[in-house]
Amino acid sequence: MRNVVIGALGLAAVLCTPAVAQDYPAKPVTVIVPFAPGGASDTIGRLTTQIMQPDFATPLVVENKPGANGAVGAAQLARAKPDGYTIMAASIGTFGINPALQPDLQYDPREDLEMLTIAVRTPNVLVTRPDLEANTVEELVAELKAEPDTMLFASSGVGSSDHLTAELFWQQTGTTGIHVPYKGGGPAQTDLMGGHADASFQNLGAIAAFVKDGKMKMLAVAADERSPEFPDVPTFKELGIEGMTVYSWQAFAAPKGLPAEVKATLVEDITTALKTPQMEEQMAKMGFEVLANTPAEADAFVADEIARWGEVIKAGNITPEN
Amino acid sequence: MDILSDLWLGAQTAFSVWNLLYCLLGVFLGTAIGVLPGLGPTATIAMLLPVTFGLPPETALIMLAGIFYGAQYGGSTTAILVNLPGESSSVVTALDGYQMARNGQAGTALATAAIGSFAAGTVATVLIAFFAPALSAVALTFGPHEYFSLMVLGLVASIVLASGSLLHAVGMVLFGLILGLIGTDINSGEMRFTFGRFELADGISFVIVAMGVFGLGEILSNLENEQGRSVTLSKVTGLMPTRADLKRMVAPVTRGTLIGSVLGILPGGGAMLASFAAYALEKKSSKTPERFGKGAIEGVAAPEAANNAGAQTSFIPMLTLGIPSNPVMALMIGALIMQGIQPGPSVIEEQPVLFWGLIVSMWVGNLMLLVLNLPLIGLWVKMISIPYGFLFPAIVAFCAIGVYSLNNATFDIWLMAGFGFAGYLLRKLDCEPAPLLLGFVLGPMLEEHLRRSMLVSRGDATTFFTRPISAILLLLAVLLIVSILAPAVRQKREEAFTDED
Repeated sequence: MRNVVIGALGLAAVLCTPAVAQDYPAKPVTVIVPFAPGGASDTIGRLTTQIMQPDFATPLVVENKPGANGAVGAAQLARAKPDGYTIMAASIGTFGINPALQPDLQYDPREDLEMLTIAVRTPNVLVTRPDLEANTVEELVAELKAEPDTMLFASSGVGSSDHLTAELFWQQTGTTGIHVPYKGGGPAQTDLMGGHADASFQNLGAIAAFVKDGKMKMLAVAADERSPEFPDVPTFKELGIEGMTVYSWQAFAAPKGLPAEVKATLVEDITTALKTPQMEEQMAKMGFEVLANTPAEADAFVADEIARWGEVIKAGNITPEN
Repeated sequence: MDILSDLWLGAQTAFSVWNLLYCLLGVFLGTAIGVLPGLGPTATIAMLLPVTFGLPPETALIMLAGIFYGAQYGGSTTAILVNLPGESSSVVTALDGYQMARNGQAGTALATAAIGSFAAGTVATVLIAFFAPALSAVALTFGPHEYFSLMVLGLVASIVLASGSLLHAVGMVLFGLILGLIGTDINSGEMRFTFGRFELADGISFVIVAMGVFGLGEILSNLENEQGRSVTLSKVTGLMPTRADLKRMVAPVTRGTLIGSVLGILPGGGAMLASFAAYALEKKSSKTPERFGKGAIEGVAAPEAANNAGAQTSFIPMLTLGIPSNPVMALMIGALIMQGIQPGPSVIEEQPVLFWGLIVSMWVGNLMLLVLNLPLIGLWVKMISIPYGFLFPAIVAFCAIGVYSLNNATFDIWLMAGFGFAGYLLRKLDCEPAPLLLGFVLGPMLEEHLRRSMLVSRGDATTFFTRPISAILLLLAVLLIVSILAPAVRQKREEAFTDED
């Protein structure tokens, strides 16, 4: 009996010791996914942890905390102790757009979080309904200029990456259109195929099959280079439209103040998992390209994105609070 | 006969030993999570998704589909036995199913649900096999205008669900509409009625309202009147439907299947309407509408058939267009993409084994559900004879677990408790919760489609009447209003005359 008590005390002492870096990980790590199961962040979070798990000493537990475009889960991450036992996998919306869009947010990625890595990215592309008269970006711009404020641009919601890309496109080309928000990308794509909307900026991976089947027309890619899958579709840069390089991306982050050794372990393990052929292959099927950059690069990139979308939001007068 | 050779190919796939086993595993898991209140197929499928990567695509999809329709089935079991609808489709089943259970006919109600579902599943399978590509083209013709008009029709039909006062029903629908306003406005991104709480930014989950108002509300009023309850449940008569029962089921099941199949192919929320459109039709066309809400077997058979048919035909837009009509279908598309298959028009030609295998497996799965569940009915019925003092804490605990599992948030449990209290008050005031729930479900869709229609037509409201499908749906809604109001008006006039006498 006495031995049991001593054993229990000893165990308690071990559990209560503050996480020293060499001991990390000593208990399960919670990976917050601030979206419902099944989305891109969820899939990437689950796949990455699944590949990491065999070499990780303790269980990696994915926990979905959906709400307010990732703001509920991200606020929880910002409040968590920076000990490496709570990290998050989330999207451009959570890290790069919410801070510029919602002033009363309960987290600021630049102040409260540190990025571990930008995991994957996919370019946004300009697609139209199959029977639209315009077949090139040039024709589309001409049509937009001839009849301002008539063409319907479907998006997956106010402040989504595809909404802001459309806004950016109008700003860069001096045109205007009508923004028609949907609840997510799926219904927006459906209405585009049915001819109920005219154009949209969607993630390449999400619409590739529809374009191949002739259900949508793809006019341009918002990437640095053409997509190997669609070598005939030009980039905006080639067409002389500047500043139109837009990727949707997913990243891993932790609360600010992570011990250096813990951070190094996490970054090393996550990026190694991301760079496995298995992960790259699965991501390619979803239209994503694995990036897995360094924390410094990721922090700088997120700050740039927040600044960039903040300007687009200001110029386009997109303020949900008014 | 091409279709026969296609079906033969499908049968070879579906009847392979492994696929049969995974199908059984799927429907078994589905039934289990369906019976547990609040645990829905969406979370289950999402969590099993990574496991399916190692399976061949058709096997993975057969199992996931099994979970989906198994859960639909299991959900009606809880709705009937303890008045706990875990999904919007089973709200309607709870109306008459729970009353049947209180009348000692729980076994009959469960068997009716099983048989109705199976019959509908069989017909829907045939429909998918023959008409899938043609039907998918129809789905795309539905734009925001058509969906708006469909929702109007649905909202009018929801008044029919009430068995008591018309005024109370309308009031409850309005209350539901108001609750549906909570959350982020799609068009402006502004948060409405959230009191600054980000937990409410996406609105209140249907499951929270349903379990609170139906489940907890029922428990609270039962506790007040413990004796009444044990008396009503003491006399359990016949477990299986009699010949007369079966005869009365045929027409409702047929009509329910038709309605469900048609609404199921509409990706913008048609399947959600299926079960109560079927219920409304039965009640309106019945010679004895007063029996509805008090344990009418038609009120269980028709919506269950519609629900299952709709669940199955919702695979049509998913497989042939790559369009998800509900979150479960979105997950299925995810599963296919992970397997390197892009759902779309080419799936039928490029992946015949997958397409036809899945179709045949749906029928096999429905048969398994029937075989699995008919013998279980006796067990389920015994469950409600457990003393209520033991039963209700278990129900409350499962509700809490289920609600917590939605968002992993304790806030949601408090919210459910609040709705439980509201449900109790509404019962006291003779207000039925079903119209409230339907207003709550349809309201946000109604608003979304209305505002999108107005954006798309640049503020021109006449387009609702100039687009033919939309015009017909609105006309039907008007006719339905007239048919609801006419008897009420006549009754009022008769009362007025008798007063004068």
